[in-house]
Amino acid sequence: MPEYSPFEMIAFTGSRVLEDNKIVFVGTGLPIIAAMHAQLTHAPNLYMIYEAGSLAPILEIGMPLSVGDTRAARKACYLKGLCAVFELTQRGFADYAFIGGAQVDMYGNICSTIEGHNYDKPGIRFPGSGGAGAMAANCEKTIAIMALEKRRFVKKLDFVTSIGFGDGSPDYREKAGVMGSGPYRIITNQALFGFDEETRRMKLLEVRPGVTPEQIQELVDFELIIPSDIKEMAEPTEEDLRLLRDVIDKEGYFLKRVIKK
Amino acid sequence: MLSDVSSKIKNISTLEYKEKKSEYWGPTPDEARKITVNKSHGLQDKRMTLKEAVAKYIKDGINIGIGGFVNTRVPAAIIHEIIRHGARDLTLSFQSNSICCEWLAGAMILDPDRVSIKRVELAWWGYEIIGIAPLLRYLAGNGMLEMDDYTNYGMSVRFKAAAMGIPFIPVRDHGGSDMELVNKGKMIECPFTGKNIYLLPACHPDVGIVHTTAADMYGNARIFGAYCTCPEIAVAATYTIMTTEKIIPTESIRAYPNLTEIPYVAVDTLTEVPFGAYPGACYGNYWFDMDHIRMFRSLCDDFRKTGNKEGLKKYYDEYIFGCETHDDFLEKIGYKTLRKLKDMDHGQAIIL
Repeated sequence: MPEYSPFEMIAFTGSRVLEDNKIVFVGTGLPIIAAMHAQLTHAPNLYMIYEAGSLAPILEIGMPLSVGDTRAARKACYLKGLCAVFELTQRGFADYAFIGGAQVDMYGNICSTIEGHNYDKPGIRFPGSGGAGAMAANCEKTIAIMALEKRRFVKKLDFVTSIGFGDGSPDYREKAGVMGSGPYRIITNQALFGFDEETRRMKLLEVRPGVTPEQIQELVDFELIIPSDIKEMAEPTEEDLRLLRDVIDKEGYFLKRVIKK
Repeated sequence: MLSDVSSKIKNISTLEYKEKKSEYWGPTPDEARKITVNKSHGLQDKRMTLKEAVAKYIKDGINIGIGGFVNTRVPAAIIHEIIRHGARDLTLSFQSNSICCEWLAGAMILDPDRVSIKRVELAWWGYEIIGIAPLLRYLAGNGMLEMDDYTNYGMSVRFKAAAMGIPFIPVRDHGGSDMELVNKGKMIECPFTGKNIYLLPACHPDVGIVHTTAADMYGNARIFGAYCTCPEIAVAATYTIMTTEKIIPTESIRAYPNLTEIPYVAVDTLTEVPFGAYPGACYGNYWFDMDHIRMFRSLCDDFRKTGNKEGLKKYYDEYIFGCETHDDFLEKIGYKTLRKLKDMDHGQAIIL
């Protein structure tokens, strides 16, 4: 197997999760890379929505560096504004939300607003919801990318920015007035998570070759559901890495980033 | 009778917050309508200098609705003029923005008697790939701004509701998140379905600031590339200050009226400012200048980490206070940079 970086593994796994003939509402960075990889491999009829207003662009002048980027609008089928694409989403045309965040809990709720308890003086203020809260509410399924660390996979969030299954009660999302079915996959470089249908709790699905479920549990502050049939995560091939490095993110903006602790 | 209900949001997070009053942070729908009704609705030449436009409409204590999206078609020239003019106790409203908000925040840090931000209704404040916004982190982290959080759809559709002349709008997001607790929206039981539905108050800025691709002298404006929320902001605001890349003949507007995204009635002042979104991007004209944005951001980050304002002050003295107009600013950036950014747009098709 060729050598690959954590970001490359996340992008490749994100691509695997996306099915053909669907629409994915993408956030900046790895979600775009994952969707581009899927288009170039197993999902040629997968299309992207970008929140500044574009549907199904052709990304032929470079990978967008912003979801409002000219590159993300290039040769789109439909190009309007934020209201238009979020309303398509609310109406049911967006199959996947593909988002990130700073913290996630066992029910797939995600924080990207503050770190600290006091909303009015939080200590650390993050950029805010952006599109994520609306995407997690109204795309049909939510996929999130997270760094697998105990301080991020937490028992209790500092702030619920993007709704998951709330407190886990069966009617939480209905009472919240949102439309999508909720959390679907959480992607990290060492493990892929899904959610248990009965309890709506996070469940380990796959681990990177050589990693044990126990090691994954060590990096998570809440108790994971760990079934007996854990699979190994597929790893990117030479060809996948060529696509990621030489075709998709050839300027290295996202895949060659240095991880800051 | 409609009654307030709540989703089951409680105790999911560790959040502590103060309940917000149900009030508009800017004109109420009735106030906004009254101002609009009392304006002349004839076709008038709206052209004036940016200095005149800002002096006429930017006052202390107003709500400014900022157009564009992150680094795209942001009203950069207008923000510089607002900083030169000065405005205190501002409320800012926008969906996602980067350098425009950071410029205002930097001006506040340097001289709060000239520029200060009191409240922000927003979805997102940052630079995407370039990084987090250091001055937001500094000001909000230290409790120096009153924040009101929505999603990008939430802020966009609040402007849309205002543009529609309605006081609120039902949405399918925010409910069940902590935004339901901290923001000004309300959960109700839908009178038709009997299910919970979240309502957001309309957002009428006192002044909307937008940059467009082209407009005629009356303010009929075209936008190419993503509209962001510029049409909604222009119509929602009680007054709109517009800059445009190019002023085009009214005959062209009347030949293709479908292309008008902002009608002249929603525009109060118009200034032709080529590269008016620089260092942001303007589809069909130029891409964003990542180097300049990075340079400014790193000065802000230095301040956040060290408390030393020297770097920031030099930047403002050079690029904002050292310039009378946006042309002066562009001259400091230089032709070669602007030429490169123009090439990086790859000649997107626009109709003038």
